[in-house]
Amino acid sequence: MIITLYINGKKESVECQPGEMLTEVLRRAGYVEVKKGCDTGNCGVCTVLLEGKPVLSCSYLAIRADGKQITTIQGAAKEAEEFAHFLTAEGADQCGFCAPGFALTVLAMKKELPNPSEGEIRHYLAGNLCRCSGYEGQIRAIKKYLEAEHA
Amino acid sequence: MEILEFARPHTLDEALHLVRDRHGTAIGGAAWLRMNTKTMPLGVDLSELGLDYIREANGSIEIGAMTTYRELETSPLLEARFGALFRNTVSHIVGIQLRNIITVGGTLAGRYGFSDLNTTLCALGAKVVFYPGKIADVASFIQDGEEGPFLIEKVLLPVSARASYQQMRITANDFPIINAAAAWTDSSWRIAVGSRPAASRLCKKAMVLLGNEPYPSDEKIGQAAVAAAEELQFGSDIRASAEYRREILPALVRRALMEVRG
Repeated sequence: MIITLYINGKKESVECQPGEMLTEVLRRAGYVEVKKGCDTGNCGVCTVLLEGKPVLSCSYLAIRADGKQITTIQGAAKEAEEFAHFLTAEGADQCGFCAPGFALTVLAMKKELPNPSEGEIRHYLAGNLCRCSGYEGQIRAIKKYLEAEHA
Repeated sequence: MEILEFARPHTLDEALHLVRDRHGTAIGGAAWLRMNTKTMPLGVDLSELGLDYIREANGSIEIGAMTTYRELETSPLLEARFGALFRNTVSHIVGIQLRNIITVGGTLAGRYGFSDLNTTLCALGAKVVFYPGKIADVASFIQDGEEGPFLIEKVLLPVSARASYQQMRITANDFPIINAAAAWTDSSWRIAVGSRPAASRLCKKAMVLLGNEPYPSDEKIGQAAVAAAEELQFGSDIRASAEYRREILPALVRRALMEVRG
């Protein structure tokens, strides 16, 4: 069946099977920046914003996204790039595979929580696993990024 | 999971017809579907039925079946009436991205053994409303199920309660190896235990032991905590043995009761 998705502000008609998850459909439509990680709803690598909220695209029925706004990391490239400077400065990005989902969750947090504490940041990001960085650099980068945003 | 036919009803009557008369499967959050290798002849999407709400009505707090865990976690109404209870119950579950997907109705319908939420709902004395209006105790439904096809419309909670949820996990994103919730509501104590690893059950003997004393002594709480572990059955799985679960449980029940008592 054909569904209509509004991906990064662009209207796309895509074909999907009723039981397919959003990751598959997005990647097939060319949005390969949506990474496929654990595919079991645990790692956060496949995160996209659906109507502005972070969701695991591997666990979201594609057909249910019919008519909805989806943002991948390409759709948030400008903000993500600004954040990436802080990640780089803190040595917090290594293999980079988790970065698209991680950055999108940070951007969603920035909108949802005006001035998060470190505990709130860690809680919000708990669903984004990173097997390289050990998280400390990421936390430093997020704090400095948010401080700069508020300056 | 392969879904052969997909329907997106816009009324509860239509949804019930599809589930009851055409043997459709109601789809809640659907986060578990991809882990399932079965074929679903007819999937019935409940997302367009307006079942996404948390509100006070008719002397209860009503939670629609399609309300997400993230909405439970961030609801000002639930925070005002139950303190941190719902936040504590669901905030350990994977991440915000998954909690933006999984739903109250899906969790309840699945009667999952590992559920955090079902334990809290049992302790609160929650009711489940099956469309078009049959009401059952959540604890009874989790224990006995429901005969024939059913469609969960909403969950009813008391308008307020003092309650506490406690759990133990091996790692942060894993299922709990045991969980417990206690509540002082409607002038009586309720204690529920889940992830045994079987589904949530009330600890009826422990509840009787506490009686209707709102501020039980430490000694009484200790006795109830031990009684809770003695009256339930536990199982072993890859996360913990039955013996370990039985050993841990009294500490969780004691903490929950003490937190509620104050």
